Amino acid sequence: MVVKRQRGEEESSLNVVDSETTMEKFSLALDSSDDEAPEEVTFEDSKAEALRSMKEALDTARREKELLKEKRRKKQELFQEQKKRKLLPAEVLEEIDSTPLKKQKQSEDEEDDEEQREEEEEMEGEDEKKKKKLAHTRNLKGNYTVTTATERSAASFQKQMAEDFIKSRLYGPGSCRTTSNELLSLQNKKGRNKSAAVQFVKKDWASKEKAKAEKLKKRWIHKQKLPSS
Amino acid sequence: MGDFKVHRVRFFDYMPSAIRAMALSSRSERLALARADGALEIFNFADNYFQEKLIPGQEGRSIEALCWVGERLFSAGLNGEITEYDLENLKPKYTMEAYGGPIWTISSNSQGTLLAAGCEDGTVKMFEILEETIQFQRNLERQRGRIISLSWHPSDTLIAAGMMDMIRIFDAETGHATHRLLVERGIGASKSREVVVWSVVFLSDHTIVSGDSAGKVQMWDGLTGTLIRTHLVTKWDVLALAVSQDGNSLVAGTSEGTVVQFQFISSTVGQQDKEWVRTRTFKNHSHDVRALVHTETAVVSGGMDTQLVVRPLLDKVEKNTQESALRKIAFPHRSLVSCAKKAGLLLFQFPDHLELWRLGESEGHGKPGDSLPVKRKPEKLIQLKRKGEDHICCSALSPCGGWLAYATVCSVRLYRLQLDNNNISLTKVSKLPKVLHSAHQLCFSSDSSKLFASSSHSSVIVVGLSQSECKYLHTLKPKSGSRQPVHLLHASEDGKWLATANTDCEIHVYNLHKLKLHCTVPVYSSCPTAIAIHPTTSNLVVVHADQQIFEFSLVQKEYTDWSRKLQKQGLHPLWVERDTPVTHVTFNPKNPAHIILHDMFMFCILDQSLPLPEAKTLLYNQMTLRSLPEPERIMHNHAFKICKNFQHLMCVRLLEDHSLVVVERPLLEIMSQLPAAVRQKKFAT
Repeated sequence: MVVKRQRGEEESSLNVVDSETTMEKFSLALDSSDDEAPEEVTFEDSKAEALRSMKEALDTARREKELLKEKRRKKQELFQEQKKRKLLPAEVLEEIDSTPLKKQKQSEDEEDDEEQREEEEEMEGEDEKKKKKLAHTRNLKGNYTVTTATERSAASFQKQMAEDFIKSRLYGPGSCRTTSNELLSLQNKKGRNKSAAVQFVKKDWASKEKAKAEKLKKRWIHKQKLPSS
Repeated sequence: MGDFKVHRVRFFDYMPSAIRAMALSSRSERLALARADGALEIFNFADNYFQEKLIPGQEGRSIEALCWVGERLFSAGLNGEITEYDLENLKPKYTMEAYGGPIWTISSNSQGTLLAAGCEDGTVKMFEILEETIQFQRNLERQRGRIISLSWHPSDTLIAAGMMDMIRIFDAETGHATHRLLVERGIGASKSREVVVWSVVFLSDHTIVSGDSAGKVQMWDGLTGTLIRTHLVTKWDVLALAVSQDGNSLVAGTSEGTVVQFQFISSTVGQQDKEWVRTRTFKNHSHDVRALVHTETAVVSGGMDTQLVVRPLLDKVEKNTQESALRKIAFPHRSLVSCAKKAGLLLFQFPDHLELWRLGESEGHGKPGDSLPVKRKPEKLIQLKRKGEDHICCSALSPCGGWLAYATVCSVRLYRLQLDNNNISLTKVSKLPKVLHSAHQLCFSSDSSKLFASSSHSSVIVVGLSQSECKYLHTLKPKSGSRQPVHLLHASEDGKWLATANTDCEIHVYNLHKLKLHCTVPVYSSCPTAIAIHPTTSNLVVVHADQQIFEFSLVQKEYTDWSRKLQKQGLHPLWVERDTPVTHVTFNPKNPAHIILHDMFMFCILDQSLPLPEAKTLLYNQMTLRSLPEPERIMHNHAFKICKNFQHLMCVRLLEDHSLVVVERPLLEIMSQLPAAVRQKKFAT
């Protein structure tokens, strides 16, 4: 029994090998599209074929890249054109130039180049809305705001990094924090005498709108009074 | 008690800053405390925890660590600078760049000759402490990764440094690292995160104790570099450690707001070998505890919830005494509000701006206890941002509401304020006298014709104000030659007197007509917290940090009979046991016998014509008096009439029209604006 089985196994393994080889042949046959016997191809030919296909692949890749580049360039050009259209007229620029100079007269003299560079940076920064929120802003005619870019030294950058490190360790992901409102409501729940929630109404909700409404109301009342008096 | 129309003001959004670091000078019993906005406060623990001094912060300055060297105070912060403070002139003396990136910690050796600073770039920098300054000496062997915490061995030969994932021990003489103790990371998801050793303590028996971000307090053998014991204290971070002077008790502060005590005792009775045993847990904070100090008798803690908590250890103090009571210090011990009596204006002082408000008006009369309808709402007139980088240290509004002044560490600014109906104009007075370059306290005379500014060495600069100009008149100097700053200024109503109090506990009274020192009040051992001169009798009323009240006659230059009687009989024990100082004293013009004073929890009208309360009588008797029939009331009446209806008072003032202004800031509201606390699972919620 044992011997027989062994033989059987051997046979089967052989069979497997056979079938694999036949499969290979079959696939080769399929490649040649017809049921013909495989063509004889010399080594050089196949090499040349392979090289050509490789070259083609490279070419297409390069072409795609160039297309992309072209696209980008066009976009860039468009942007620059737009920017040029947006640039300030010369007299405004002069005005801006003169104001920081006055300020710096009192402080220690700085190099002109640096100033100019700063100025340029300011110009670039115009489009970004974030910069508008900075402290030293100045409104000009139209939609332009000029801000003095504060120079951030390496030290302040490092300080920011260190602060971020503390923040991420204490309040970052995985720190399992709640809000103070939840904490208070929990205290209220566990406390002896229950009362209304501390933040029953969000007091700071739409505070800007409320302030604006208040202002308008005042103005309206003022207007109402004027004609009568 | 008398009826008052009360303006109940709740629009002062005072928000204290989180406590970041603390250090105790055991020699002078002064606690230095640093807040997140860079402000520095000095508390005198020997004198009822009174907040003696306050150095305002600065934009961009942050304090990460504090260190006393004798009487000198050093701080270091993430801006990479070491600063020494001038505690007499209340300003930074000098700053020294360490050139190692942000500094996380500083620590001095026990001799007080060297200062070690742990930097972001992995160096421990040693500075030599010289007479006037500090000087860089050398670096210890540079490590990879930041140095978060440092501790010297009491013998000054070794330094332990807490870093990311490890503790290093350095030989202080050669500068080489001798041991590397690897700290295990947290379990579960936090395994991939580096563990931060937030705090280390090197004990005299070469035990190193570390507290880390995985919530462990670990004891290490510093000689062999092996772990002895791990105590898992919290699921969050252990942020601070402090050890008692004798090295037998240790406290650890956590993100949960708990403070855990460990003691070096034998675990079973009668055994000789001692070990560190976790003994007590205190929960006095709602938020992270970031700074800890272990005094002889108490644990002092502070953190994100901005309150300073002094928790006495009950095995070190006598039970049921004033010393054994828990103390929480939430508000500064000086007024941040100034009030223009005649104009009904309030000035609120914030570190970076001032707010000027006009009080509202109401119509009609109501019964006592009623709330009146508001005719005109209170209105914010001006928000004045400070100039420059320094935070505001003091501000003042003249009684007529025509002048406004504020001071920072390096400048004084004066503004002319004009209000007619709806037009507000604020013009800066451009030419101030040169002497007026800094002030610790500012005060206007009652007729708004003079500005008083306290300057160095307890002197006071007098500046005359008029429409056209602002002129330097005189400098008032005390004869004592004290170098301490003046923290209280008061000009009398009749314009004749000016009283000053400094942190040496001296009170000087100047005659403003003669511009000369009139007299000095006998020095009492406790620091004055509020002073005022009576408008008609010219008696000076002084309240001290230990709650004692004195009345001093300026005409006779001696204590008044009432004051002597009060001292002889003694104050009521409940009055003395209050734990917040009286921050303002004023008088009632309608009834000259009334003195109005307030602390954080109550305001009190002190009637000098009534008998003083005996120790056994009820001190807070307003409710019982109301329930009694008229004839019996006289029997129970006593001088202290206390009102607790308004909670967490920032200011109580009496206006010219006889209405009372009460500025409240409930602690609950401050708490609701704090940053996030940790989420804790509570059963059945």
